[in-house]
Amino acid sequence: MSLTPAAREHLLALADDEHMIGARHTNWIGLGPFLEEDLAFCSIAQDELGHAIGMYELLLDDAGTDRTQLDAFALQRVAGDYRSCWLAEIECSDWSDSLVRHWLYDRAEDLRWKALESCTDPVVVAFSLRAQREESFHLAHAEQFLSRLASTEQSARIVASINRLMPIAFGLFDSVASEPELLAEGFVTQSSADIEALWIEAILADLKRWDLEVDILAGPGQFNDQRRTVRSDGFDAFQADLVKVIELDPIAVW
Amino acid sequence: MNTYEVFLKKPGRNEFRHAGALDAADPEMAVMYARETHNRRAEGSEMWLVDRRHVLVADPESMAVNGDKPHRHNDGSLVAARRKENRKSEA
Repeated sequence: MSLTPAAREHLLALADDEHMIGARHTNWIGLGPFLEEDLAFCSIAQDELGHAIGMYELLLDDAGTDRTQLDAFALQRVAGDYRSCWLAEIECSDWSDSLVRHWLYDRAEDLRWKALESCTDPVVVAFSLRAQREESFHLAHAEQFLSRLASTEQSARIVASINRLMPIAFGLFDSVASEPELLAEGFVTQSSADIEALWIEAILADLKRWDLEVDILAGPGQFNDQRRTVRSDGFDAFQADLVKVIELDPIAVW
Repeated sequence: MNTYEVFLKKPGRNEFRHAGALDAADPEMAVMYARETHNRRAEGSEMWLVDRRHVLVADPESMAVNGDKPHRHNDGSLVAARRKENRKSEA
């Protein structure tokens, strides 16, 4: 085993976020506002799931666990063992909410991968670089879609979604309990608080460019003491959906 | 929304080929969507998009006329028949 417990917990948080947001985004398959957007949004979902799989494999390999256990590890842990943030977990049944979540999440995700560029583990560095190439498309998609909606009569809906999601979004930067060790080991070069500051800067720059007035700092911080160990409302029902097929035949090999 | 025609080219000495079409709000979004709708599995290494409104369309009737010009479709059968006759008469 080469990853320290702190590194494992950090990668698990990233992997669980990717898993949850990817699974939530896929809810839009066939439901996107038009075919081209349907394909683009579901492609982003698949990219996020791909990142989750890559990180889960890394964690399983490191623990000496066979990769056949990946599905069980990804889907069937007890709720308290997940380290995902609420923004990635919650259901967004409104297209505007989903789009805004995609933007808020990917702005942070890009920064989180960048913070792993100088990681002490070369496999993680390679993965970070690959993920960043994909993130450039995700960010371009969010920027192009939202910048256009912001200049239409739909901007009020976008603002309402931002106001709705922003307090939860700050949970993205709720660090895992072992972050101090992680920084001391040099596994990451930036703390969650550092990344949060960069994220706020990027979000404010986007809003300014789109000419949207939102007070994003109105209600942050209420999630910052949970260390990603508490699941959002609705997580149990979501997980029950995710395991529906795998539990049809527990001994089947997929 | 406008319709854009998408062309892809594989690496090497291959030509651009029509890959399909898509709808998008503007050129920038068209390029972004084309990547996912027509080059999802890296089917090409280069891509062109053309706004369908900029495509010049020829009148099909003016083209159909060229289908009725047998003198332009010499398959050599008349020459072959004449040579056969010549060989017979020489024999």
